[in-house]
Amino acid sequence: MWQVFRANLKGIFRDRVFLGILVAATIFPLIPSVSSLSMRQVTELSITLSFSLLTFILLLLAIFLGGTSLWKDIERRYTFSIAGLPLTRGQYLLGKFAAIAVFLLLVSLVLGLLLLMTVYVTSILHPPIRPVVWGNLVLAVLFHCLKYILLVSFTFLFSTVSTSFFLPIFGTIAVFFVGTASQQVFDFLQSPSGQKLPVLLQQIATGLYYIVPNFTAFDLNVNAIYALDVPLNGIGLTLLYFIVYLVIILSCASFLFARRELN
Amino acid sequence: MNVIEIENLSKTFRGKRRALVQALQSMSLTIDQGETFGFLGPNGAGKSTTIKIIMGLIRPTTGIARLMGMDASHSAARAKVGFLPENPAFYDFLTAEEYLRFVARIFGLSGKALNQQLERVLSLLDLQEARRRPIRGYSKGMVQRLGLAQALIHDPEVLILDEPMSGLDPVGRALVKQVLLELRSQGKTIFFSTHITSDVEVICDRVGVIVKGKMQAIERVEDVLLRQTSGYDIHVCHPRTGLHKTVFSEAKTLPEIIVSSRDEGFEVIKLEPRRQNLESFFLDIVKSNHE
Repeated sequence: MWQVFRANLKGIFRDRVFLGILVAATIFPLIPSVSSLSMRQVTELSITLSFSLLTFILLLLAIFLGGTSLWKDIERRYTFSIAGLPLTRGQYLLGKFAAIAVFLLLVSLVLGLLLLMTVYVTSILHPPIRPVVWGNLVLAVLFHCLKYILLVSFTFLFSTVSTSFFLPIFGTIAVFFVGTASQQVFDFLQSPSGQKLPVLLQQIATGLYYIVPNFTAFDLNVNAIYALDVPLNGIGLTLLYFIVYLVIILSCASFLFARRELN
Repeated sequence: MNVIEIENLSKTFRGKRRALVQALQSMSLTIDQGETFGFLGPNGAGKSTTIKIIMGLIRPTTGIARLMGMDASHSAARAKVGFLPENPAFYDFLTAEEYLRFVARIFGLSGKALNQQLERVLSLLDLQEARRRPIRGYSKGMVQRLGLAQALIHDPEVLILDEPMSGLDPVGRALVKQVLLELRSQGKTIFFSTHITSDVEVICDRVGVIVKGKMQAIERVEDVLLRQTSGYDIHVCHPRTGLHKTVFSEAKTLPEIIVSSRDEGFEVIKLEPRRQNLESFFLDIVKSNHE
């Protein structure tokens, strides 16, 4: 697994497309100037824009790296050569996944540093009313990264059963939107308006809420922007949720891939 | 010990419009240790399907395939096996050296042993010069040679090669043939598919012919060639006149013709069996299946 991880990580670093996506990070230095146009809450806006850029880059990388990784290996017949080695398909799959996960972590680290520098410059130029809690910013970057790693696991799950890149890419985009909205839907169901919906619909929506990922749990933007305390038990629960969900998705992906016929 | 065992293997695919395609039908085969087996068949006969089942890439519909005594689907069964897939492709963002190191490490090689094996296979397959170039810049023949190099990097007991001569120029073919002969002399078990009968004739101990998913014949190459002998060319020379001539004789009449030549004062200088090659044996089987 370690060897697959190493080779694939090397492959990602040598892929010009993904390095091209990273070029979008050159927008970071423009954020302080753009934020200053708002006249008030400049630092807060700077944090918001920085997180938007960071998550946009991570989303592109997660979908295109994850969605094409396994599919490309099958399409270009690399799997025939790898499958002849004394590796289980699970080890191969996990090695590939780990390479993307580590790449996203490294990208998050670099983008996170750029984000901190951007916010620092803005806070010097336009001192905010509320202090910037740097720990919150770091935590928010980390949890965004975890969210996209979880999203990558879905690209792998879809790739194991798909013969083209459509399902891995568009299926994952759908999961992203559903996962981002699931908490809001659940909150609506708990509201008086939601209670008026047919019971069957409420039960289906509640069932889906527990099945689809809840990406809102990974969103600490508000805590980072407004220097709000981050509840430790919430962090712990989200981490646990991430691990359990990831293990389930990757186990399903490994199970399906082990049964896939490599024609 | 049977290195490869195939028992009653069948494989059915879903083809276009979900029609069933029977790629293999009740195939059984055993390959002994140290044997070189040539797997002949026309295109679409089921050679690659058989190899894919042996390597655990696809599952049989019925029957079982064992590799080194283990179920072929277990990854541990491939620990002493070198595999070259048909039209191989490797991570093309890596160089040949990087890819070979990657494969070697998966087979548990490291340090000095890895470096020694790396140098050995690179020079054996004539890839020394291109070793640090990305694979994406390789010609088809170079990729094929790299495929053989990665199959040999861990000095495997068994080699399973799907069309090893495919895409090679005459020089490459001669090189690969030489490598296979050397491996044979080292007592390695080699199972390879091809539709080039002359390669089987030179390299293999046994040959199997598969047509339309059915194993039609399994024979010793030597036996096939002997059976295909139609007669002998007797080269004789007259010691006094220096006259050379060649006389053809059927096997039955061979002793009589030799005696009569001597009676006429000729000396036998060479006796050559005149035989059809493996190609006619193969074509006869293919034709009989089409009729």
